[in-house]
Amino acid sequence: MRKGLIAASLGLLAAAMIATSALARSEATATPAQLASCTNVSLGFVGPLTGPAGFLGQEQISWLRFGVQKYNRASGTRFKVVPGDTELKAPVARTVARRFVSDRKVMAVIGPSESQAVRVGGNLYEKAGLVAISGSATAVDLTKGRPYTTFFRVNPNDAIQAPQIVGFVSRNLGAKNVVVIDSQDDYSIPLASAISRGLRARNVTVSRESVSADDTDFSSIVANVGNEVNVVVFATQVASAANTLSNQLREQGKKAVVFGTDGAYSPSQFKPRLGYVSVFAPDLHFDRSARGLVREYNRYSKNRSFGAFGPATYMAGLVAMNAITKACANGQATRSEVVTFVRRTNIPSIFGGTVRFSRAGDPLPTRFSFYKVTNGTYSPVG
Amino acid sequence: MDWDKLVQLLVNGVTLGSVYALVALGFSMIYGILKLLNLAHGDVVMVGAFIGWGVIGWLGGAQDPNVAVWILIVLMLLAAMVGCGFLGVAIERFAYRPLRRAPRIAPLISALGVSFFLQNSVLLLFGADFRSYEAFDLVDVEVGISWGPLNVWIIRIIVIASAFVMMAGLWLLVTRTKLGKAMRATAFDREAAAMMGVDVDRVIVKTFFIGSALAGAAGVLVGLVFGSINHFMGFNYGLKGFTAAVVGGIGSIPGAMFGGLFIGLADALSVGYIEDFTRGRLGSAFSDLVVFLILIVFMLVRPQGIFGKPEVKKV
Amino acid sequence: MSLDQGPEQEQPRIGVDEWVASAEERRARSLASRAQDAIDRAPAPVKLLALAAPFAIFPLLVDSAYLMQVGIDTLIFVLLAHGLNVAVGWVGLLDLGFVAFFGIGAYLYAALASEYAGRHWDAAIAIPLIAAAAAAAGFLVGLPSRRLVGDYLAIVTLFFLQLWLVILVNASWSRGPNGISDLYPLQLFGQQITSLDGYFYVALVAFVLIISFLYLLNQSRTGRAWRALREDELAAELMTMPVGRLKLMGFAVGAGVAGVAGAIFAPVQGAVFPANFDLVLLITVYAMVVLGGAGSLVGVTVGAVLINGSLEALRDADNASWIFYGIVVIALIALLRPWWQPFAVIGATLVFGFVVHEVAEQARPSLVGETVFGGSRIDELIDAWVLLPQDIVTQDGLPTGWTGRLAYIGLVAAVLGLTLVRSRVWRMVGLVPVLYLAACVWANLLIAQPAVARYVLIGALLVGLMAYRPEGIFGKQRVEIV
Repeated sequence: MRKGLIAASLGLLAAAMIATSALARSEATATPAQLASCTNVSLGFVGPLTGPAGFLGQEQISWLRFGVQKYNRASGTRFKVVPGDTELKAPVARTVARRFVSDRKVMAVIGPSESQAVRVGGNLYEKAGLVAISGSATAVDLTKGRPYTTFFRVNPNDAIQAPQIVGFVSRNLGAKNVVVIDSQDDYSIPLASAISRGLRARNVTVSRESVSADDTDFSSIVANVGNEVNVVVFATQVASAANTLSNQLREQGKKAVVFGTDGAYSPSQFKPRLGYVSVFAPDLHFDRSARGLVREYNRYSKNRSFGAFGPATYMAGLVAMNAITKACANGQATRSEVVTFVRRTNIPSIFGGTVRFSRAGDPLPTRFSFYKVTNGTYSPVG
Repeated sequence: MDWDKLVQLLVNGVTLGSVYALVALGFSMIYGILKLLNLAHGDVVMVGAFIGWGVIGWLGGAQDPNVAVWILIVLMLLAAMVGCGFLGVAIERFAYRPLRRAPRIAPLISALGVSFFLQNSVLLLFGADFRSYEAFDLVDVEVGISWGPLNVWIIRIIVIASAFVMMAGLWLLVTRTKLGKAMRATAFDREAAAMMGVDVDRVIVKTFFIGSALAGAAGVLVGLVFGSINHFMGFNYGLKGFTAAVVGGIGSIPGAMFGGLFIGLADALSVGYIEDFTRGRLGSAFSDLVVFLILIVFMLVRPQGIFGKPEVKKV
Repeated sequence: MSLDQGPEQEQPRIGVDEWVASAEERRARSLASRAQDAIDRAPAPVKLLALAAPFAIFPLLVDSAYLMQVGIDTLIFVLLAHGLNVAVGWVGLLDLGFVAFFGIGAYLYAALASEYAGRHWDAAIAIPLIAAAAAAAGFLVGLPSRRLVGDYLAIVTLFFLQLWLVILVNASWSRGPNGISDLYPLQLFGQQITSLDGYFYVALVAFVLIISFLYLLNQSRTGRAWRALREDELAAELMTMPVGRLKLMGFAVGAGVAGVAGAIFAPVQGAVFPANFDLVLLITVYAMVVLGGAGSLVGVTVGAVLINGSLEALRDADNASWIFYGIVVIALIALLRPWWQPFAVIGATLVFGFVVHEVAEQARPSLVGETVFGGSRIDELIDAWVLLPQDIVTQDGLPTGWTGRLAYIGLVAAVLGLTLVRSRVWRMVGLVPVLYLAACVWANLLIAQPAVARYVLIGALLVGLMAYRPEGIFGKQRVEIV
């Protein structure tokens, strides 16, 4: 009797599952020319909401939701954000891509946050004509040669970051002996390699080290840093790691100063006595003109801390919503119309200037900002 | 010969080693008494680290704590030890005890489940952000011993000292008290001990309590000396702790202590010297492999470890 | 059995207990056991057809690309689960490095059919080659197994996995964490497979072939030897079975199956990354094998489908509640003895919930709010019934402060405490508030982060299964004879 009951309930459950998912997503793959309604438009967020980079994705989706709410209130639209957690894993990113592609209500994807997810889903988005606007994917090969025609990004890529860091470290900091550390991931290895190459080309002595992305102890690496080293460039996505590195350098009496790449930017977590950090967009906390926006966000998120990633995603969201609204001006829109409008984007940027895209999908113009950190206080330099 | 570097690496190694030793002790004790590899042990360390972090937050935060620093540290250790002790007891009671008569593979799979559950529960409740003890704000990094090439932060000294004190305490417990005698008897032959009037279940519970308490303490110490914790950190400490226990001789208490220090030193020295040794072929990324290789070599050549006795299976 | 069926029927039959015999006859005539007999007596190809049929008609029932992808992923998981089943279920070895063979298969495919490698081999040659190479790797990893007892073997295999991952991330040929992203589509006898349906059928064919192979292997001498080895290694050794060689075979076969799964997985994803082969995947596959029943071909297949299906359905908040409440109901039905008890408990919980909700609404209205997360119909219904304190969770689903966290910890403690209660009546009584608390915690905390919540459920599932039903759904109960 019981076994029968169990079997029956399992069967019912399976049927309910299939029925609901089939009903929800039984549309065939949306083709670019397919018309979609302009009410109840969703923005699909693709990024790591859990996992080692989860805090990045959470910051980004928080700013995105904030942006959507603000835009909805201002213009009476009804945009929604649909989360697509990639867990920083490639197969999951691909499944998420398929999900958003076959969901008719998704007219734009905000993200993918990580370069890996772009590579895995890029051609899926392209085939479906679905635009993907990222706020943080920095790998150079995502736009070089335009492999994914519907991919855009509002952040500069590593081909810009590396030379600017090289210039800053060798010129402004006058370093002659540098240690470059990567964190064994998709983001840091190419960046660290490019930085080392650039520094070596300027006759700077460079030695390379490597730590795991979830390492929290750098004492032995620090022991390897000699007293003649001026700067340790640390390419990481974990700001607290840069903080620990800096403190352990001081603990062991080394003179080298830490330069963190944009992943280390976090006034709440990277607070060395003396350090430097680069970021692909100016920190809104220092921007007088953005004070209102920051206040609004703090109210919305109950003072959640944020760095550079959130506002960039907010910008990406604005770009998408602008383009969709324009495409929906006549009541109906297709995904390819949205792509066209995104290509023609020309809106004011919260970082100053305007947001426009190059033919390859990169933002123009792009600036990198450098900050000097003294006793935990950030101040713009360079 | 870069003495500065060597001295620094030795200090790092001893710091790491003390922590690994605490973790290895818990492993060893539990294995000795139940012949069970507690794969969830690393996650108990992680929970201890989070408990410590919670205490800091509760007492005002690292910038401006409500109590003196040393009281704060003692409270964190106590809270983590008690909390993790009870966690360990709960794990034993609900995940392992029903499986006492099951095939050997069953409690291991259960341990995997516990580990997964703990990691994801902490992720659910605390988020994916790395949490920081902000120990560098608690006690500045330059406070400590500065003697020639030796630069040791006082927190490291506290970590090493606490670990040794706990190990000494455990040693006394095991060799001088009745409980210790009961633990050794149960580890030697559970059925005979039961027949001799030892309440085996209670001894097992107390062993789990003590072993997990040590793991919790290790978690707090890790947070103090390295600063940041996250839900996934347990895996690494579990692995290193296990290696240490095996190298020292699983089931043996001095073995775990020795093994811990050995692995800690191996860790530090390999990061420091691997490039020199391999003439630049392998970077510091491969230093993890050194520890693996040590384990494999031991397993194949001397599975009973340094202090262990070869196990003879009687049929 | 009677010695003599002569005319003297009153002579008591020797060796037969009347009561037992009559009870057995009654059971044999019941529907369940007659069905079971029919299944047992069916010839193997029929059973295979029955197992493969639902998969075969799946593409005809769905037309969404997303569901097809889920179907393909499920089939790949099924293959993986079967590979693990060989090592864990049949030979009884705890292989914690299993996903490394999956990775070896996938990267080998990249080496044989990608722009990066500059060659594009036909799958008809590539896949058997990959299977052989993966099996060889399994053989190598299994070599230490001859000298190591189960627990140590587990750790050595785990270390092997770590070793593999470190190599993948740092070696130059593997292109590091960026992985290899320009894989060519699967080419079978000259035909390139580019549609999802195509890959689904390829995976299905692989499934059928592999299951047939495994079935025959299980029926053979090797299978019997494995079973003997699993039950008691020492006895098997004394019976002159080549224990070492058998273990190596078990490793190799399991690894080979994983390699084939990897070779199919790689072109489907179109890329391979080191991050594909992590511990979460390993534990998921273990959960599939354990749930379905280690050692049972049907069980493992069912386990894989159930777990992957649930994981997909729990991916976002829309469908998650169905699964959660469904699991709760099924668990109640499975665990409470007389068939009417689960319904009594559910009814009592509903009443209890209403009462609490009403009281809270009157006393402190801030405890009763609107739906925050979860968009499905069942959420709307239940959110009118549970407590929804405001502001205990941020917009992203993270608990702010300790209310949510303590509720969660309290729930875990309560559930564990319930298992300690001896008296059946008190257990039923205790279930009612615990179920209500579970619904509240789900509606407030878990559904806000469905991606994490499902892993929590999997962990709990593994522990619960091992404690109450280690043989899973279709496995056979095993007793350790000491």
